Amino acid sequence: MSTARFLKARDIAPWLEELGREYTVLAPTRHGDTVVFREFEPERGIELDRLSTTPAKKALLPPCETLFEYATTKTDTPPYRTSIELRPTLPEGKILLFGTRPCDARAMQIFDRVYDGEQVKDPYYTARRNAATIVTLACSGQAGTCFCDRVGGSPVDATGSDVLLTPLKAGYVAEALTEKGMELMRDTAFMKADGLRQEALNVRNRILEEVPERTSFLDMERNLLSLFGDLGFWDKTAESCLSCGACTYLCPTCYCFNITDEPHGDSGKRIRTWDNCMSSQFTLEGSGHNPRPTKAHRMRNRIGHKFSYYPQLHDKTLACVGCGRCISNCPVSFDIRNAVACAIQHAAANAQEHAHD
Amino acid sequence: MAHTQELRTLIARELPNLDLVLAWTGGFDPLSSTPLFITTEADLDRLAVGPMHVQNLAAYLPSLKGRKVGIVTRGCDSRTITELLQENLINRDEVVIFGIGCTGAVNIRKVRTAVNGAPVTDVEIGDDVLTVTTGEETHALRLQDVLMDKCYTCAGQAPRMHDHMVSERSGCLATGETPPSSLDLLEGMDARERFAFWEGHMDRCIRCYACRNACPLCVCKDSCVAQSRDPHWVDQSDTPREKLMFQAIHALHTAGRCTECGECERACPMGIPILAMKQALNRRIKHLFDYEAGMDQESTPPLFMFRQQEETIKERDAR
Amino acid sequence: MPVLEGKELRIVGFLCNWCSYGGADTAGVGRFAQPTDLRIIKLPCTGRVNPLFVVRAFLNGADGVLVSGCHPGDCHYTAGNFYARRRLEILRELLDVMGIQQERFHYTWVSASEGQKWKQVVSDFTARIHDLGPAAAFSGCPAVPIDMDETGIKAAG
Ligand code: SF4
Ligand code: SF4
Ligand code: SF4
Ligand code: SF4
Repeated sequence: MSTARFLKARDIAPWLEELGREYTVLAPTRHGDTVVFREFEPERGIELDRLSTTPAKKALLPPCETLFEYATTKTDTPPYRTSIELRPTLPEGKILLFGTRPCDARAMQIFDRVYDGEQVKDPYYTARRNAATIVTLACSGQAGTCFCDRVGGSPVDATGSDVLLTPLKAGYVAEALTEKGMELMRDTAFMKADGLRQEALNVRNRILEEVPERTSFLDMERNLLSLFGDLGFWDKTAESCLSCGACTYLCPTCYCFNITDEPHGDSGKRIRTWDNCMSSQFTLEGSGHNPRPTKAHRMRNRIGHKFSYYPQLHDKTLACVGCGRCISNCPVSFDIRNAVACAIQHAAANAQEHAHD
Repeated sequence: MAHTQELRTLIARELPNLDLVLAWTGGFDPLSSTPLFITTEADLDRLAVGPMHVQNLAAYLPSLKGRKVGIVTRGCDSRTITELLQENLINRDEVVIFGIGCTGAVNIRKVRTAVNGAPVTDVEIGDDVLTVTTGEETHALRLQDVLMDKCYTCAGQAPRMHDHMVSERSGCLATGETPPSSLDLLEGMDARERFAFWEGHMDRCIRCYACRNACPLCVCKDSCVAQSRDPHWVDQSDTPREKLMFQAIHALHTAGRCTECGECERACPMGIPILAMKQALNRRIKHLFDYEAGMDQESTPPLFMFRQQEETIKERDAR
Repeated sequence: MPVLEGKELRIVGFLCNWCSYGGADTAGVGRFAQPTDLRIIKLPCTGRVNPLFVVRAFLNGADGVLVSGCHPGDCHYTAGNFYARRRLEILRELLDVMGIQQERFHYTWVSASEGQKWKQVVSDFTARIHDLGPAAAFSGCPAVPIDMDETGIKAAG
C-alpha cells in the first residue's frame, strides 16, 4: 500500500471539520453519559478513548430510512378520482465514517452479503455503501466484554476498513487499504510517514500478544443447529431476558427492519426502520399466530442466526463481531458468550448421549 | 458474608416446595449483576446479595403467575409486589418472600460515568466509600453520591411483608445530603429549556423499549400501544417527538401505580433520565391525593377512583 | 399579540357529546361571536378523554388544548367526568415537566344550556393562547400535517 501518514491527535478535529464540506462526517461523540456516532461538529468534540455505545451501522443502515414520499389528491367533482404521486428518495452524498473500531468495520461486510449480494442489491444500502469511506481505529486493548478474537476478528483487524489508524504516542499512523482510503489520504496535509509503518506494525503485534487464548466460536454452526429442537435449553438460557431491543439495536451486525407507511393527512412517507427479533411482534402474523411465541424461541433465533444460520449461508462467517455491546448494555447483563459456550457444550453432550444409544 | 449464608439456608429449606426462586448473582464485571433463577441447591452457590445487585426481581412475577415462586426482596421491591397484588396481577399464595434488609443500591451508571467508562477490574464497598479499580487507577467514590434515586426517598429498608426474613441489618448508605436529581435540574428550567432538554435527550433514544420491558408495571408489553398500528399512537419515524410521545405514554400508564423503583431509567442503555417524569407525577399525586403506590394492599390506586368533592382540586377559569 | 394579529393559532377542543358540545351548539344558534381558532372533536364523554390525546395534540403541533364536559354531578354516564378530573389534573404536571406550559391546557365544565359561558370560555382561552404565542416545536420534525409545498411534491392532475 502506498500511502501512510501521521495524524497528530490535535489535528484531527480541524481535519474532520474541513472534510465536512465534502462529506457527511460521522464520528463517535459524547451524548449525555454515552458515546454515539453522529454528525461531527467541532463543538461536540470526538471521543476515541472508549468503544461507542451505539455502533457505526447507522451510516449504512439508518434507524429510519425514507424509501419514498407520497401524496394523494382527490378530484372534488364526480367521479371523485384519487390519484397518487410518488417521489423516490435515494440517499445522496459522500459519507466519511471516522473512528469505527475493527469490530464495527468488520460488521459492514456482514451487511454486504445481505444487502449488496449477488441476488439482491438494495438500492438504498448500496448507494450509502458506495459513498462511504471507513476510517478505523485499531483498539489498544480489549475491554472486559470484548471477544472479537473468538469470532474471527482481532483488536487490530482491518477487514472492512478503507484506512486503518494505529495509535502511537502523540497521534496515529494512518495506512490506506483501499482505493477510497488512498484517495482520502492523498489529499491531506498530513506528514508522509512510510517510515513509521514498521513501528505501527510492532504496536499492533504487541496488542495482539495481549489477546488471551480462548475457545473460538467459529465452525459451530452444525453443532448449534442440533440444539434447535431442544426448547428446554433455550427456556433456561432466556429465563432472565426481558425481550427488549437493547441488544439488537446496539449490535453492529443486526440488520433486520420493518417497513411502515406513515401518513399525515393526504401525504406521507414509507419508511424502513430497525426492527428486532427479541420482540414478540417481530414474527406476529396477521392472523394472530406467532411462530416465535416465547422469549426462548426468540433467543434461539438471535443466537442461532448469528452463530449458525448466517455462517451456513455465507461461507462460515459469523454474524457476530464480538464487540460486547449486547452484554454491557443489557438491563439484566445477559452474556451471549456464556450462552454460546453453554450451547456448544450442551450440543456436544447431546451428541455423546446419542452416540451411546 | 453471614447474611448471604443465612439467605442460602432459608432458601434451601423452602426450595423443595417451590418451582424456582428469584435472586441475584454477579455479572460480566465486578460492577454488574444478573438475575439468578434458582431451581436446585447447586444454584445457591452463585447467589449474591449486596448494593450492586440492582434488578427489581418483582418484574418477573406477573409472567410467572401460576407457578410457585420464591423471591428475594428488599424494601423497595416489596412495594412493587404490593402494587401487583393490589391490581390482581399476581396471587399472594403463589409467592414466597425472602426478605432482606437493604442498605442501599448503587446507581451503576453514575459509577461508570465517574470512572469515565474505563473497564472496571475490581470494586470494594467500604462503610461509606466505593473503591473502584480500573486497571492501574483507583477511584474512591462517596457512596452517598452514587446511589439510585429511590434510595434517597426510601420508605423502609425491610420489605413491607415477608414469609422469611434474614436477620435485620443495620446501616444505610444514604446519609447526608441528597445529590440533585434530574427532576431538580428540570425544576430550575423554564418551559422552553425543559422542552429542549427532552429534545436533546430523546435524540439518542434507540427505541429499544428496555424502559418499558424492565418496568414491573408495564404488563401489556407484548401488546403495547407503542407498537400498535391501529390505533396509531406513535409513528415509527426516528424523531424526538415520537420517542417523547412514548415516554408520555409510559408515564401516564403508570401514573398512580409507579413505585419509583427506577428500573426504567436503570435499564435504559442510553442513560436517558426518564425517571424524572414519573417522579414529577408521583409528587403531584402525593400532593393531591395523599397517595403513594405500593404501600397498602387494601387501598385503591388514585386514578381507579374519585371523590365527588375533590378538596385539593380547584376550579380554574379560562382566562 | 400584534405579530399574530389576524393569524389563527391551533387550538384543539375535546368536548363531550351531552353537555359541552350542546353548549357550543347553543352558542352557535344564539349567534354569539367567538374566535375561530378552536377545532372541536366530539367525544361521548370527558371520561373518554385519554390524557394522551392531549399530549399527542401538543406533540403534533397544537398551541392550546381545551377539554370541556358536563358539570361534576351531571355526567350523562354518572361518573365519567369525575375520573376525567383526576386524570387531567395529573396531566397538568406531566405537561409541565415535558416543557409544555400548563397554561396551554385547560379543562372546564359547560352545560348544553350555557351558550354564553361557552362563548366566554372560548374567547378567554383563545386570548390566553394568543398571549402565549405559538408553542415550541421540535426542530427537524415540523408540526403535522406536513405542508404539501414544503415537501415539494406536486399533486397529480
Ligand atoms: S438486551 Fe438483554 S434483556 Fe433485552 S432482549 Fe437483549 S438479552 Fe434480553
Ligand atoms: S406503556 Fe402502557 S401499553 Fe405499553 S406496556 Fe406499558 S402500560 Fe402497557
Ligand atoms: S415507571 Fe419506572 S420507576 Fe415506575 S414502576 Fe415502572 S420501572 Fe419503576
Ligand atoms: S430504554 Fe432508553 S433508549 Fe430504550 S426506548 Fe427507553 S428511553 Fe429509549
